[in-house]
Amino acid sequence: MAQPPAPIPAAQQAPPLLAGPPTQTGVSPRIANYDIDVTLDPPTRTITGTELITWHNQGVLAAYSIRLHLYWNAFRNTNSTWLKQRHLAGDDPFSNAEADDFGYTTVTKIAIVNEDGSDRVDLTKALHFISPDDQNGDDRSLAAADLADAIQPGQTLRLRVTWTGKFPRNFDRTGVIGNYFFVSQWFPKLGVFDQGWTAHQFFANSEFFADFGNYDVRMTVPKGWVVGATGVEQSRVDAGNKTTHRYAQDDVHDFAWTTSPDFIEKRQQFDMPGRAPVQLRLLIQPEHEYLADRHFAGAAAALKYYGEWYGAYPYPALTIVDPAWQSESGGMEYPTIFTGGTRWLSPRYSNDPEYVVLHEAGHQFWYGLVANNEVEFAWLDEGINEYSDSRVQAEVFQPNYLVQRFFGDFIPWQYRDIALQRATDTNYMNEYRRAPDRDSISTPTAMLWPGTHQNMSYHKAALMLHTLERMYTWEVMQKVLSIFFAKSKFKHPTPGDFFDTLNEVTGKDHKWFIDQVYTSSNTFDYAIDSLRSEAIEARGMLDSPDGTLKFQQPKVEGPYRTTVVARRLAAGQFPVDLLVTFTNGEQARVPWNGQGRWQVFTFDRPVKAASAQIDPERRLLLDTNYTNNSKTMEPASDRAATKWSLRWMVWLQDLFMTYAFLV
Amino acid sequence: MSPEPWVLGPAQAVLQGLNRVKRAPWLVAGVWLSTLLLAMPLAIVLHQQIGTHLGGSMAALGAADGVNYDWWNEFLAQTSGVGASFVPAILGFAAVIKNISTVADDVTAMPLVIAIAVAMYLLVSLFLAGGIIDRLARDRDLGAGAFFSACGVYFVRFVRLGVIASFVYWLIFGPYHAWLFDALYPALTADITVERTAFFIRLALYFVFVVPLYAFNIIFDYAKIRAVVEDRRSMIGALVASWRFVRRHPVAVGAVYKINILAFLLVIALYYLIAPGASADTLAFAIGQLYIVLRVIVRLLFAASQTALFQGRLAHAGYVARPIPKWPDSPAAEALGPR
Repeated sequence: MAQPPAPIPAAQQAPPLLAGPPTQTGVSPRIANYDIDVTLDPPTRTITGTELITWHNQGVLAAYSIRLHLYWNAFRNTNSTWLKQRHLAGDDPFSNAEADDFGYTTVTKIAIVNEDGSDRVDLTKALHFISPDDQNGDDRSLAAADLADAIQPGQTLRLRVTWTGKFPRNFDRTGVIGNYFFVSQWFPKLGVFDQGWTAHQFFANSEFFADFGNYDVRMTVPKGWVVGATGVEQSRVDAGNKTTHRYAQDDVHDFAWTTSPDFIEKRQQFDMPGRAPVQLRLLIQPEHEYLADRHFAGAAAALKYYGEWYGAYPYPALTIVDPAWQSESGGMEYPTIFTGGTRWLSPRYSNDPEYVVLHEAGHQFWYGLVANNEVEFAWLDEGINEYSDSRVQAEVFQPNYLVQRFFGDFIPWQYRDIALQRATDTNYMNEYRRAPDRDSISTPTAMLWPGTHQNMSYHKAALMLHTLERMYTWEVMQKVLSIFFAKSKFKHPTPGDFFDTLNEVTGKDHKWFIDQVYTSSNTFDYAIDSLRSEAIEARGMLDSPDGTLKFQQPKVEGPYRTTVVARRLAAGQFPVDLLVTFTNGEQARVPWNGQGRWQVFTFDRPVKAASAQIDPERRLLLDTNYTNNSKTMEPASDRAATKWSLRWMVWLQDLFMTYAFLV
Repeated sequence: MSPEPWVLGPAQAVLQGLNRVKRAPWLVAGVWLSTLLLAMPLAIVLHQQIGTHLGGSMAALGAADGVNYDWWNEFLAQTSGVGASFVPAILGFAAVIKNISTVADDVTAMPLVIAIAVAMYLLVSLFLAGGIIDRLARDRDLGAGAFFSACGVYFVRFVRLGVIASFVYWLIFGPYHAWLFDALYPALTADITVERTAFFIRLALYFVFVVPLYAFNIIFDYAKIRAVVEDRRSMIGALVASWRFVRRHPVAVGAVYKINILAFLLVIALYYLIAPGASADTLAFAIGQLYIVLRVIVRLLFAASQTALFQGRLAHAGYVARPIPKWPDSPAAEALGPR
């Protein structure tokens, strides 16, 4: 277990704003605890570290071995599972990499130690690489060692690991570019032990999974460099041209840090009635300094709204890191620290940087506190978080105009005519629509097709949750999520836990919903095929009162029979409503279970129909083609087509004139 | 060294050019019409695509009265060809930014059908170029017959010149651009962590890119002018003569080009101020066409001022070597004449 911080001389203490106890929580199971010393050597882009892992077996089975994640080995060579997956997706970040761009972790010694710190068993030779997920013998992101003496339930294992790490160039989340170091997944880290070890290789798709514990970390960096890290700074000690920064945090399941001489440091305090204040610390790039307030606004919005909706943020501090340009480390969450990511030119009312800061701050709740297995069920944190941040954006950051960039993707152009909407735009409907059926949300995240991870874990999941909101109202969804949050805080919930809570709160069984939306890769597309209003009376040869057949014309003025043909054009099934509006303003609503491929609806009214809509409130946000959900008797399509084709023609004429200088 | 008092200065050349364009309203109308007529068939195709996609949907109401961005995205996800170019960047001033950005970053970044339309427009422009320069050089209206006669006479010559120009422009937009922006730029910015620095590097590379582009553009412009004014048949000869002229009058040639670029920037700045949003309809189209007319005027100003400069320096105003074409009388007129 991590030692309580020793008293430090006042002169060596960190600035008072962030000093304080490393934890105010004390409610996590504190299974895996890390005490780490690490030294950064910028010229060689390496770290050398020693860690003492204190692991408590809180499972019901004995542990006969250990599993150790060595994530940086994903960047060791192009045969790693991580890089093979990226290659499969058509992305080769290391295709032009130089020797210095590759990264790796080398464990130089690993030993079981006694309570007094002396070695008991040297495991260095027993440590070997395993690849249980894809049998890739070249992958070295996961190691194992058998234990001579099993760790029984209730027993504690103390491991001392000494290692060196070579930073990769920043290709994904971690690494170095220039003098910006973002240091994540950097230390040998235990897997999760429950009914055996849950430990996976490092996949390009997936993120991470670890047990809660206490972290006490001392980072030695060049003097004058700014450090940001998980937790709260306890001390800062200078020695020659180096400074050792000590950060500690209890009840977290990971530890990340960053250092650079270029950061500008800003601070604000977040206050919320009835809650402990949170010290917000922003490490921002100089060229983004003018965006500092917008960073704080994003983080504060997450703490406020998630705090109100789901539960309190229990830690005393939160650090926002504005990553260096091209660092590829932006938009990533770690306990009590996360990276944002913005642009040099960022127009107001564009939610950049607000969105990414809000999203990553939101992960402090969904990932940081509710620590689902991101390798298997990343949608639980990503989907819930995207759904939630989208809702916060709609509440706080409006208007949110579309921005596109030109001239080498540098110069922004903001479309003041296009305000992005929650239901479709910030839930990323348009991204989902382009590849809705290549996977299902339920597929284990690491096993998703590399190009569809975002689509499933983020977008489809957010649309699924928003669909539930439209089925049951926000109040119900908020209740579902807050109960799920309360039950799962400091735990590792599964999708089953979420759906159980949904069933419990709504009092309904959602098996059909899970089958159609979650487990299946089916798409949804309901349409109005035809809408007609015709006289009810028949036209033709009819019996007359005198018993003869007579030709009869229907009355022109009605009554009318309106016939609507609704179709299910895709495989997905979902109950939907049909709404018909008549010319006198009257409306008729009919439910349809949405299971057949088509359904005819008829309505007898004194007037004709004006329009028909299927799923008029657009509850089913996963319907990829909503335009065909309605029909009107007075179409405006010609007017719209004329307007837009004329508008487009001016663009084409301008294109002609732009090229005309060549002739 | 100050120019001789009788030598036409760049500002005078541009003023003369402006007056020549002013005196040729049919030329402005004709070039504008050529852009409209070439764009219209594709606009009709797009109209059909949009109309079909919207069908009788109620989504059309939002699309007709403003921007229905969700429908727009849905349309883009399902369309191809002309429809694929119907993106938000067609809106207002974004269209100008997008088009210039396309030239600067990747001239091939457009759907094939649009690239074909642009190629057709360039071909039509090449056909019209002889007549336009002839009209501007003579600075007097000779009628449509003479105009199209000049178009026809110089078209074949300009096609020959165009082959050489195409090769040079291919080198500039192809290998040279690729070297600058796909090799040099990534190499220069690989380890840069400040976006602003990278942008200024890119800006500098844009400058490096446009210097030869404009240099060759000027040479090809004066080659056409010399071909028309001096009735040259050899396009290689015209190119060499153009090079000689540019070499002997670099300041004036450069100044005229820069003033014309300034005029172009003024026009797009004006459009930036008045470019319509998405809600307006007929007025938006009218403003768009007014802008296109101004672009046409600037385009003609380039040709007119360069022609005026050349004539002012090496010939005299209104001088064109080729005689005004005179058509024989028709057989019907001959029949009426004295036997």
